[in-house]
Amino acid sequence: MPDQHIDLNDIQGNIVKAYGRFGYPKARYIFFQFHDVEAGRNFIRDLLPLITTGRPWCKDQPPSATTNIAFTYQGLKHLGLPTKTLHSFPEEFSMGMKARADILGDDGESSPTEWDPIWHHDKYIHMFMSINAKSLEALEERYKKIQDLLKKSSGLVTQLRGHRDGQRDDLPYQEASAIFVDGKPTPTEHFGYQDGISDPYFKGSGGNPLNVVGGGKPTRGDPATLQGWEPLETGEFILGYPDETKELPIAPVPTLLSFNGTFMVYRKLHEKVKTFHDYINNVGKDFPGGPEAVAAKMAGRWRNGAPLVLFPTREEANAFAQEYEKARELAATSAKGKKRYEELRLKRTGFNFGNDLAGSRCPMGAHIRRANPRGCLEFGIKDAFATPGALDNRRRILRRGLPYGEVTNPLSDDGEHGVIFMAIGTSIERQFEFVQQQWINYGNDFKLSNQKDPLLGNHDGKDMFMIEGGSPDNPPFFCPEIPRFVTTRGGEYFFVPGLTAIRMIADNLIDPT
Amino acid sequence: MSNIAGKSYAMTVITPIPKIWAWVNLLKFWYSKNIRKKKSFGLQTLSLIHYARWVIIRPSQFPRLSSNQPKEDLHYAYMLFFSNFNGSWSQYVDSFHMAIPKGLDRIWKHNFKYPKSVPLQPFHRYILHNQIWTDHYYNAYPLASSNDVKAAIALRAALLEFIKQSENMSPEEFQKAYKAFLFYNQQHIAKMHSAPVINLADQAKVERVRLIESYEKTLRDEHGKPNF
Repeated sequence: MPDQHIDLNDIQGNIVKAYGRFGYPKARYIFFQFHDVEAGRNFIRDLLPLITTGRPWCKDQPPSATTNIAFTYQGLKHLGLPTKTLHSFPEEFSMGMKARADILGDDGESSPTEWDPIWHHDKYIHMFMSINAKSLEALEERYKKIQDLLKKSSGLVTQLRGHRDGQRDDLPYQEASAIFVDGKPTPTEHFGYQDGISDPYFKGSGGNPLNVVGGGKPTRGDPATLQGWEPLETGEFILGYPDETKELPIAPVPTLLSFNGTFMVYRKLHEKVKTFHDYINNVGKDFPGGPEAVAAKMAGRWRNGAPLVLFPTREEANAFAQEYEKARELAATSAKGKKRYEELRLKRTGFNFGNDLAGSRCPMGAHIRRANPRGCLEFGIKDAFATPGALDNRRRILRRGLPYGEVTNPLSDDGEHGVIFMAIGTSIERQFEFVQQQWINYGNDFKLSNQKDPLLGNHDGKDMFMIEGGSPDNPPFFCPEIPRFVTTRGGEYFFVPGLTAIRMIADNLIDPT
Repeated sequence: MSNIAGKSYAMTVITPIPKIWAWVNLLKFWYSKNIRKKKSFGLQTLSLIHYARWVIIRPSQFPRLSSNQPKEDLHYAYMLFFSNFNGSWSQYVDSFHMAIPKGLDRIWKHNFKYPKSVPLQPFHRYILHNQIWTDHYYNAYPLASSNDVKAAIALRAALLEFIKQSENMSPEEFQKAYKAFLFYNQQHIAKMHSAPVINLADQAKVERVRLIESYEKTLRDEHGKPNF
């Protein structure tokens, strides 16, 4: 089947590119409010030339900084979109993230009342902007350009304050950055895991075809090879194209408003570094393999990224990680090095759980098995479903974002450090909310009753996590009384229009009739 | 009135089917139950389902409260579909549609205006149009999913057997046997609690809190000690 052609010039760049992996380790997230329809429209018209599209960078010089924007339901309302159009947006989007707290499990210390001050008011945030940059200087330069445009509105468009950084709680933006070690950006987050290894791969995305392995939808072929995977349908991630149900996804009207657009979830997730390390150290005293093995069993990967399914022991995982890092460095200099690097890359993504049905390598409840089941919901029953990914192909999300803050004191949970997590897909309810509710904070689909994702679940200190055993002398191990390691500190749902749609909004050309 | 009780959802769908095709379906159902006996693996692997049942109701079988009640003049026979499952309406319908689209089409294809199971939105509309809302729904184990019940039954039987077997074991033998018992039953061990919120209706939220509280009470006796 020919690849789906999609107009990458009309699609915002953050949908098809995880900038962090393209050499943009610095980011700033900014939120705006419109006080006047015309001023709002003028501001976004002025922004248009700065917006980064999905156009491949092999053809032209990559910019030193990127800019993307997205709108809340309230934002679209304040830009004067017709009522009929507003009503055609999905319910979860118009409600906004705070109103969905019961579904998302944002309770206790994750409750909206505990979020950064910017999220405290209702109907407050209208527009999101992300700047990603190769360097801090490039970031500042782009930020200044935006400030100049903002000044033109004479206060009728305001930049909202209220982000916390540990000292202050009224900062005008959320800063984020890859964690640097020896002056080099790393793909790790604050718990020390390599993050963002398998991102969905879809038709027309223009990404490296090797990313289909582990990132596409499973076929019945060998998961270690390209034959084991197919690209997901474009309509799972971009409106206006067929999705996995062989139809166009439900989208707001008129068609030109939604075409090449999508929805995005923004979440600020605080990581309790001390709680995490205390827990793996304590439990690791009793678990064979120690704290590092507990951390690996919770995630389904060793912290260096090696998947448990292919690398069951720490020695194998470490040897692989060293070889992988070496190959990554050599890849830039020789063709042979590049080939070796690509082979090794597949070892991080080219697997499923077909040879580990009982979870003796990767626990049934481990994070990666929940968030991307890779066809394991067939439970090894051959050909049970029309396709092995029947229950997971429609639940995939493009993950974007970067860590924020620094861990200055590993002996404390306080301070500001975590992950700015963004999830992109054509249905927030079917994709992000479903995964968060049914797979992260619940376990029935995995036959795990109410067991939650050990890392991301909204634990209350009473949950347990079972690490399945492998033989009668190696029984299951129960990690008791899991505390909450990650808490929500803010977030909202956004619509990410295509470039044509942004122009139409700016020129007041949206007519749904 | 709700289709939801505890972790379960009850779905009733009644669809008209031309009388002649109703007979054909009756034969097909009879054949697959009595002759073919092939297990429907797809349906059984969808572990969110308690059960699903299809029944043909012929026009003459429609109940009357008494012989005084006039007979209805029905142009179609009807197919009753009844299922209980865990999860939301769309999770269930979408799972069916993605996992066993051909099986659904085989059963429903002669029904009046059945659109086929793929694409999804016409199928959604068909089910919703023909769904009968549940008036009363009793659930004996509101905090248990079908997987939880199955696991509990298996674990209970295994545990009783283990107790019997282990009565006269030495401590060393017991430790070995207990480890093996845990290993062979690990897939049945998990911690049960309330369902996630399926529905943001206030009534559903209040009911959920009530269930959690009554369940937590059963875990402790009147002195606050664990009660097993």
